[in-house]
Amino acid sequence: MTGSKSPPTRRNLLSWLLRAGTGSVVAALVYRASGFHRSGRMVWQLDPRKCIQCGKCETACVLQPSAVKCTHGYAMCGYCKLCFGFFKPDAPRLDEAAENQICPTGAIARKFIEAPYFEYSIKEPLCTGCGLCVKSCANFGNGSLYLQVRHDRCKNCNTCRIAELCPAQAFVRVPEESPYLLKEKL
Amino acid sequence: MKLVVGSWQLAVGRWQSTVGNIKKNILFLCDLCASVRKKNFVGLLSSLLCGTFAMSAQAESRFPQPQFDTGHVVPEAYHPSVTAVVSEGTDVALLFVALCVATWLVHRVRSRFWILAFSLLCLVWFGFVRQGCFCPIGAIQNVAVAAWQGGGLAWGIAAFFALPLLFALLFGRVFCSAVCPLGALQDLFIVRPLRVPRTVNAVLRLIPLIVLLFGVVYTLNGAGYLICRTDPFVGLFRRSAPLPLLLTGMAVLLLGMVIARPYCRYFCPYAVLLEVCSRLAWEPIKITKATCINCRLCVGVCPVEAVEIPREIPSASTRAGRFRLFVRLLLLAPVLVIALTCGGWLAGGTLLAPAHPVVKTYEAMVQYTPETEALYPAVEAAKKQKLTRELLEVQAREITQRFRVGSAVAGGILGLIIALRILGLSQLRRRAEHEANRTNCIACGRCYPACPKNVKTIQ
Repeated sequence: MTGSKSPPTRRNLLSWLLRAGTGSVVAALVYRASGFHRSGRMVWQLDPRKCIQCGKCETACVLQPSAVKCTHGYAMCGYCKLCFGFFKPDAPRLDEAAENQICPTGAIARKFIEAPYFEYSIKEPLCTGCGLCVKSCANFGNGSLYLQVRHDRCKNCNTCRIAELCPAQAFVRVPEESPYLLKEKL
Repeated sequence: MKLVVGSWQLAVGRWQSTVGNIKKNILFLCDLCASVRKKNFVGLLSSLLCGTFAMSAQAESRFPQPQFDTGHVVPEAYHPSVTAVVSEGTDVALLFVALCVATWLVHRVRSRFWILAFSLLCLVWFGFVRQGCFCPIGAIQNVAVAAWQGGGLAWGIAAFFALPLLFALLFGRVFCSAVCPLGALQDLFIVRPLRVPRTVNAVLRLIPLIVLLFGVVYTLNGAGYLICRTDPFVGLFRRSAPLPLLLTGMAVLLLGMVIARPYCRYFCPYAVLLEVCSRLAWEPIKITKATCINCRLCVGVCPVEAVEIPREIPSASTRAGRFRLFVRLLLLAPVLVIALTCGGWLAGGTLLAPAHPVVKTYEAMVQYTPETEALYPAVEAAKKQKLTRELLEVQAREITQRFRVGSAVAGGILGLIIALRILGLSQLRRRAEHEANRTNCIACGRCYPACPKNVKTIQ
């Protein structure tokens, strides 16, 4: 380009040295930061072992509704008829009527398998990630319901807003290849 | 019937071992009573079975998974994998191509129209499609953290941090002109830019420095990503955000109608780095390639007041006055550095450290009383993780100290840079033409069509 046409004066040399110096500072910083190991992207996940179900996941996420939703570790579930994650503690009757359910949006499906077992599954589009069922299941049941960042929704912000507000500091970065911390497998 | 009897026996047999688990047993009994009351005998049977399991339960799994007679297979929950719009390599390649195109438009095509058109394209792609993450501004923190720890940064983020700086080192701030979605968005809102008085401008231009220095200290000490948290436009790009964030973004855009690019000029920490590189640019932005006729038409159209007007070397007496000023300022510099180091020390302990989660938890524990438990979920979390108040106190004190030291260093650097900037005022060089200021010019291209020499070349 035209800039290089100027004669090789001292000023010119100095400016090239400064330029090269700044360039190598940037390069050195990046080299030290990446270590030139090809490391992949990291994504956010919630560690269910630390979670105290404070309810911030529902409200703090940049997405409305939140990218955090309830998930069910079937392998941990007791298939109880009286599920503490499904029924309110003061449920008038033990059936699927809305007033009996702990979930404010009715996002838990209850399916009869065989006497006396019922299978519970999460209707994800309805779940808001409030964690009410998770808390109850953890307190009185097996704790097979737990919250997870759903990666079909998560925008993977550089800084997660829920992580900032999480009182339990339960949000961690995990590799993109294994983006879930499944309670039944931990 | 046999099953019921069997389960009763089991229940009675294991009653002793689980007496401690009162809460659960009460719930079980409630269930039992409810079933009896409602003459729901299937329910009675099932709650008995459930209860049997409840009583034989361990702490980990209160209700072991049943063996299904019907051969029901326990399903596995579906967990969607990460849905990246594009791969990391494509992201970096697109940034590189965008920077090349912006350079070509700014230096070769030299057309405001095409710069604007390309900036819209970048706004749509980097802003509304890629939704603003990751971006070079936020990457400062990732690079700082990884460089401090000595590795572990994804190479894509490293490239996002380095590429615009290297381009600035060669061609000026072409990243700001058309590639940065935040800049492109603000550029659209420039209606009638007011002149910011020189002194006010000089003071406001310290904010990006402060954000950069203290933001890095904040991040290195593990309190979170302050720079990302103060990005006002990410909510607009995502079209979904908490209301305060959206309102801040809109307020900044409205302010941008009268003060051109307020975020870029008076907040963006990445601009500080770009300015350093752009000052040394190999091929700086030129208002015209022809000889300037000093018509001053470019001065009026520049929204960011980056056009330098011609200047003669002042007379000997003025220069002597300047020299005396220079010496006085040199004496002032150490005072400034020391004062800001002390200021940083204080600010680190009182303003920054309380944002760290451990310090927050400790403070919650201090203020906590059993009546106000609901207000302090952090206390519950600390209890769950078996963190005692003493342990947290030690950690909190250590973190506060780290914040003090870090902020003191940042304050010292800030003082040094302010001193250098003041000293720079006494440096006078002759300037014959109207020139784009190397640091402030964001290469928006508004001066290209305004310059009569450029119009002539087109004809």
